[in-house]
Amino acid sequence: MADQIRVRGLRKQFPKVLAVAGVDLSVARGEVFGLLGPNGAGKTTTLEMIEGLTPPDAGTIEISGLSWRESAPEIRARIGVQLQATSLYNKITPKEALDLFGSYYPKRLGTDELLDLVQLKDKAGAYHVTLSGGQAQRLALALALVNDPDVIFLDEPTAGLDPQGRRSLWEVVRKMKAEGRTTMLTTHYMDEAEALCDRLAILDHGRVLRVGTPAELIASLGIPSVVELTFEGAAPDPSAFAARLGAPVEVRGDVWEIPTPDPKALLPRLLTAIDVERLVYSQVHVRRATLEDVFLHLTGRSLRE
Amino acid sequence: MRDEPGTRLPSPFALLLGQFRSEWRLYARDRGAMFWTFLFPLLMLFGFGVIFRSGGAPTLTLVRVAPAEETARDRAFLQALGESHLKVETLPAAEAEKRWAKGETSAQLESVGDGYRLRLNSYLVAQGQVAAQAASQAFLVAQARLAGSPEPERIPVVVESPGHVHSDSYAAFLVPGLVGLNLLSMGLFAVGMVTVAYREKGKFRRLAVTPLPKWVFLLAQILHRVTVVVLQTTLLLLAARLGFGITNQGSYLLFAALVVAGTATFLAMGFALSSFASTVETYGAISNLVFFPMMLLSGVYFRLDNAPRWMQASVSILPLSPFLRALRAVFNDGATLAGHGAGLAILGAWAALSFVLAVRRFRWV
Repeated sequence: MADQIRVRGLRKQFPKVLAVAGVDLSVARGEVFGLLGPNGAGKTTTLEMIEGLTPPDAGTIEISGLSWRESAPEIRARIGVQLQATSLYNKITPKEALDLFGSYYPKRLGTDELLDLVQLKDKAGAYHVTLSGGQAQRLALALALVNDPDVIFLDEPTAGLDPQGRRSLWEVVRKMKAEGRTTMLTTHYMDEAEALCDRLAILDHGRVLRVGTPAELIASLGIPSVVELTFEGAAPDPSAFAARLGAPVEVRGDVWEIPTPDPKALLPRLLTAIDVERLVYSQVHVRRATLEDVFLHLTGRSLRE
Repeated sequence: MRDEPGTRLPSPFALLLGQFRSEWRLYARDRGAMFWTFLFPLLMLFGFGVIFRSGGAPTLTLVRVAPAEETARDRAFLQALGESHLKVETLPAAEAEKRWAKGETSAQLESVGDGYRLRLNSYLVAQGQVAAQAASQAFLVAQARLAGSPEPERIPVVVESPGHVHSDSYAAFLVPGLVGLNLLSMGLFAVGMVTVAYREKGKFRRLAVTPLPKWVFLLAQILHRVTVVVLQTTLLLLAARLGFGITNQGSYLLFAALVVAGTATFLAMGFALSSFASTVETYGAISNLVFFPMMLLSGVYFRLDNAPRWMQASVSILPLSPFLRALRAVFNDGATLAGHGAGLAILGAWAALSFVLAVRRFRWV
């Protein structure tokens, strides 16, 4: 499979922070590729450099084999972009906005088809100011697809959407994938990343920490399960308990997390330790490891922090 | 590559036309912009034009405190006052005092001993002095009549514009002023403010990821503002003609050329100023700092002929003052631009400075 997006050695220094510190990425045609990371990880800056919005300090970017320096208008004609916040004229209607933006491109999808796709048909003639946050977000998505793009960039596409809105956006992304388009998106929702992305890059401090399919990334932890002890109020200091248990205990808010490759062996020891330490907890819970754990393991921080 | 047909970008001309049409459609939906652009100048013209409607000297009221006893001299004075253009209102002392205390009286005539005294309201000195002058003249007439000597002659007064052509109408003075004010607010608000808002809210960023060339977007905006100015000025001239019978006394070509020069200057100024602010709030402060001094001091509504020299001098180097002087010379006096070289050079300097700043500092994001 040919690479639709190829990025090598991308760097961006802002006055006070090195936002992107050498990023390499390859995205195959037809893939849904996610950039996962906490706020400030460099996801948006990386995406905006690939979209041609922010000039990189160093590095090369190729989209469909074209480079920004030589073929900017051609690239722009082929990509569809949903920025983190899309601002439009207050008194433009979705239909007019799609017609206007569509007129910038050599080829385009039909306005009605797009309104249907993002379920805005009944709002086709409403002024943009009167749309709800979710409706405006869906219009922004439709605008990103107006040029029948080969490559779609979505920056936090589901931020601020309700669960149903997120689900229907996922449907649109899957439909685009089924049509052979390539999608690159950023998110800090691990469930979204897991449900939607063929492959992911985990970013932190402007670097790619790991790339792989969600399953590969979770498997790479070597810890299929996590035992969680929930407390009422703040969790106590776990050091004595961890020593008795003979396993590491991580504190996250009011929860102790104990990663383990073998919960069957851990649980009896855990219950004994609880008895001995006279620990008062409210719940015990065993779950499989998620991308969140991968992230925690790689960075020592939670995604939402 | 998905499919080969339709890989050619739309022509810039088609884009420009579409963008221009979209600008107009969205602009027409903005009620605030419609009001300030088209209605407000007309309201100003009709409002001030009617308030200060002239044709003959203004009628001023002189309050006369009723004397305890009307003497022959009082009667002769009153008669002479009646022949002047003053409206005389004779009131008992208490009522006259009440009126004075309210601040409505500009000049009051009182009897003191066997003579008279004029009391002028310090807040309405201009009207008071005109009334006082007329009253003094009437007093001389009355005295001459009582003495049986020949009446003093009045010097005839003619009101005329500096170019000897136009009438004394304030509306005629106002029309070029409002044309200039329109250009100033177009540049500062419709261009500068809109640019800052688009940048702050990320409209430019959204456009920047499309293949729409930036120059097409900017040119469409400029063309739209220029057509707005043409429409606005035409409307104002039409209203002046129909409402007050005011017409351009000079060459329409010169008038149009000046408006074009002013439009270019203030457009560039709006773009230049927009580069000094990153938020609408900051821009609001900057633009008001520029707008209000020019609106008040550059001769839109009145001339600063009585202001201190240093103030006149500093105002005359702002772009609006020389522009309005030249525009009034053409419109009100039917003159050419001879003698306006220095003023037009100032305007040109502002245009050049603004243009350079706009081009060098303009930011999309």
